[in-house]
Amino acid sequence: MPHIHIQDLTFAYPGANAPALQDINLTIKQGEYIAICGKSGSGKTTLLRHLKSVLTPHGERTGQILLGDTPLAQVPPIEQACKIGYVMQNPAEQIVTDKVWHELAFGLESVGCDRETMRSRVGEMACYFGIGDWFHKDVATLSGGQQQLLNLASVMAMQPDVLILDEPTSQLDPLAASDFLNTVRKINLELGTTVIITEHRLEDILPAVDRVVVMERGRIIEEDLPKNAAGHLWERQDPMFAAMPTSAQVFYRSSGKGESPLTVREGRTWLENTLPTALKCTQLPNSETGEKTPAALQLKDIWFRYERNSQDVLRGAELAVSGRTIHAIVGGNGAGKSTLLKAVCGSARPYRGAVSIFGKKVSHYKGNSLFANCLAMLPQDPKSLFVKDSVSEDMQEVCQDENRLKEVAVLCQIDALLDRHPYDLSGGEQQRVALAKVLLTDPKLLLLDEPTKGMDCFFKEAFAEILCKLKEQGITVVIVSHDVEFCAKYADFVSMVFDGQVLTTQTPRQFFGGNSFYTTAANRMSRSFFQNAVTPDDVVALFRENSEGM
Amino acid sequence: MKKSTVFTLLSVFVLIPGALFLGRFLPGRGFYLTSTLVILFVLLPFFLAFEDRRPQARELVLIAVLCALAVASRAAFVWLPHFKPLFGVIILSGIVCGAQGGFLVGAVSAFASNFLFGQGPWTPWQMLAYGICGLVAGACYHKKDRLPKDPLSLGLFGFVAVLFTVCPILDTSTVLTSLTVFTPASVFGIYAAAIPTNLIQAGCTLVTLLVLSKPLLYKLARITQKYGLYQ
Amino acid sequence: MGKDGFSKCHPAVNFLFFVGAIVFGVLFQHPAYLLAGLLCAGAYYLLLCGQKALKSMAMMLPLFLIIAAINPLFNTRGEHILFHLFGRPYTQEALGYGFAVGSILVITLLWFGCYNRVMTEDKFTALFGNLMPALSLLLVMVFRLIPALLYKSKQITDARRCIGKSGENLTFRQKISSGMTVLLALAGWSLESGILTADSMRCRGYGTARRTNFQVYRLHLSDWVLLAALALTAAVTVCGAAVGATEAAYVPVFTAAPVSVFLPVYCIFLLIPTIIHIKEVVLCRIFISKI
Repeated sequence: MPHIHIQDLTFAYPGANAPALQDINLTIKQGEYIAICGKSGSGKTTLLRHLKSVLTPHGERTGQILLGDTPLAQVPPIEQACKIGYVMQNPAEQIVTDKVWHELAFGLESVGCDRETMRSRVGEMACYFGIGDWFHKDVATLSGGQQQLLNLASVMAMQPDVLILDEPTSQLDPLAASDFLNTVRKINLELGTTVIITEHRLEDILPAVDRVVVMERGRIIEEDLPKNAAGHLWERQDPMFAAMPTSAQVFYRSSGKGESPLTVREGRTWLENTLPTALKCTQLPNSETGEKTPAALQLKDIWFRYERNSQDVLRGAELAVSGRTIHAIVGGNGAGKSTLLKAVCGSARPYRGAVSIFGKKVSHYKGNSLFANCLAMLPQDPKSLFVKDSVSEDMQEVCQDENRLKEVAVLCQIDALLDRHPYDLSGGEQQRVALAKVLLTDPKLLLLDEPTKGMDCFFKEAFAEILCKLKEQGITVVIVSHDVEFCAKYADFVSMVFDGQVLTTQTPRQFFGGNSFYTTAANRMSRSFFQNAVTPDDVVALFRENSEGM
Repeated sequence: MKKSTVFTLLSVFVLIPGALFLGRFLPGRGFYLTSTLVILFVLLPFFLAFEDRRPQARELVLIAVLCALAVASRAAFVWLPHFKPLFGVIILSGIVCGAQGGFLVGAVSAFASNFLFGQGPWTPWQMLAYGICGLVAGACYHKKDRLPKDPLSLGLFGFVAVLFTVCPILDTSTVLTSLTVFTPASVFGIYAAAIPTNLIQAGCTLVTLLVLSKPLLYKLARITQKYGLYQ
Repeated sequence: MGKDGFSKCHPAVNFLFFVGAIVFGVLFQHPAYLLAGLLCAGAYYLLLCGQKALKSMAMMLPLFLIIAAINPLFNTRGEHILFHLFGRPYTQEALGYGFAVGSILVITLLWFGCYNRVMTEDKFTALFGNLMPALSLLLVMVFRLIPALLYKSKQITDARRCIGKSGENLTFRQKISSGMTVLLALAGWSLESGILTADSMRCRGYGTARRTNFQVYRLHLSDWVLLAALALTAAVTVCGAAVGATEAAYVPVFTAAPVSVFLPVYCIFLLIPTIIHIKEVVLCRIFISKI
């Protein structure tokens, strides 16, 4: 029985030249788990918003959407509220009330549910989602992952038939993200709820979903089982192929035959079966360290705690970042990564040890001179830098020189956005505008806090391109990130922070090649065959080398 | 008839005179209670009117954000202790949301901020004073093009509004709680003693409105347009 | 440390007690009742807040003394003249009245101190959520937003510091304009994210039906018992006030009603939270010793 039926849907925003959605036809069965993917701006969110009348944008529309047999617009709002659950990107901003229990009950209160039913439903949800421990807490004390789980739970408390998730994990760290996606999977399997999800992290969800829908410029260009989807994209050389799971990418790029692997396990089995038993070459050359440049940033025996009686967060951290490199700092949650950054830019004062920037101690930089043409940081949330009502005004706040402004805008690929309002931009664009604003201070050492959060793989690539250009210009870039794939691909050095200390500093190949858990999917898939392949490119290169002449 | 209309009539013709009349028979410092009750009867019609409107989600969010902004605005001035932009934010809220909305923003932000700093006998007085500040701004400027909305005249308006409506109400609460005997000299003494701090408050409002009114009104206009509110 | 025993009771019990205690505290001028009020409020405040209570009580003492000492300056009636100040008599009765008024203010402040600790905002909205659904939701949303905005404001200040726009070491004028910029950025950010919050509310059916409200607090039998005890003691106290047992006059001559059975009843009313608090602590000790 078809559950949701989208028929010939075409939609254009008012005043837009091209339609945002064009001839969309999609049938979704009860209990299906569907992933919608596509570049940002391809119309995913617009499509999802059409599945809920209160969120449907204004504009010109033809075609219709049926829920069961009734057109969606005729389904009464209260029924839509209960039957169709919708979770958006930003965890904190979807939360309405101040207590966890109240948030869980919010939807039920709104539809006028009686107290007894409400009590049992809320209790039930708190148990199912393991929220019992923080039931009475203030929402402000929760982590991003917990907040998003709370959003999911408060939607599920209304017992929806359909769950729509719009990039729900883009603001979460990998651990919280996989927790969230596992819960979604559990809901789909155990409760039979239909799930429609858009995601960047196809690596995590593709093996679990029933069907993949690929969108491009408002059209559905692909709709198939996950194991076939990557193949079709590969055949037509579609850029979306780059978003597919690592194992599938390696499979097609090494011209694999048969069924495409989707998970690390399947990819490994496939490698095992295809590679010759005697390998000619199992190692890539370790990238040359180059001539030793003087350290741009040096931390010596840093000790820090937030309050006099609290525990040490940094415990003798040592770090040297050589100039003109991209240096990534990785580590789990609460390992002290962000505190390390704070110690560098002076918002956390270590009680022991010294931070030197370009050979001069931070405490010797007087006034604001540290942040004048020397050090700058891109904050985690780009919105914290937006003040004015257009991108160009915002940039002028830092630098009035028109030429310099143009130059930076071109470098950051935002020259087309200068007249837009910063809040009308997508997350990836906002990140680049914020970067441009930071770059206008002409820093020689640039700190980036989780810069790839919420970016899809295309934005990441564009962002990395900017970083490489900056490196060529002689700027030292320090990235703090959870994104191991990004660090493996673009960093020159990787440092691991654990328990308030910097454990190792190595090149990505040495570092991720040596780890077995905290490493990239490409490495996990190939580690029993190759020693230091950390990106899909590495695996493909080694695969080709070994299968030559076969 | 709407609940709020009934209550307003009831409040003006029965409850407030009743409280004033019965208050005379209360022993001790009964006028504390009488004055508090009268204020409550003034506040309630506004609150009930808000209930009657059944505000939609966007209006509710906008008012909530403005209240929180008024309370949290202090935090933006970490480098300048004692600078309070609160009344500036309330006045701008009144201009955008109208008299009723402005009153609500003022009263609720006073009440909410007292949950952080401690409720006391002054709470109802503050709610009334802050509320009236928003109300006056809304009544004078909302949807009206007669009064000029340039920063200077708004700033002066804020200065006058704070000095002559908000501060006197707050000082009256001090008079009632701390005086034992009401002689012209003692009452005048309290009002006079408060003048310097009141001038500082009014000055902060003036500066806030001078600098902030134009860009913040622009941002608010963008949002109300997006929300489709108060058009 | 767990919550105190009285705070665990239903918000209605908490609220009604404080209304009663503060109304009585304001109305009764009889020195014996004032003393009772001071002691009971002070005791509960100390139990609730410990060290912090001592600090704020130390702040109230000068206030108390100043109000008491100033009164005779304006009020010269009274029989026993202590001395002359600026040619005006400073009388014992007027000083006594000053102490009474000071006590009333201190009692009010002490009870409000306890109230702030016990009646947290979620209790308040739980209590009035049914009467004014829209307003209590508004209040809940404001409480959700305040910490979020404070955090955002810190993020903005930090972010701006790291691009060389710190407010430190500036002139007064520059400090004001830097603060205004932060406030403006904060306003923009929170208003824009409000759009998402409104969407999220509408997604979950806000406005589709008359709101009900979820109660985390339930009236247990013990709450009913407490309510009955409060009502009984309060009723007796009101009767006492009606027959004039709480009356006293200070100027020109000090007269007070004789102390009667109503005073201990009033004390019981005021001591109910303290008794519950101590009972809870004792019971806790006993239960823990059994583990």
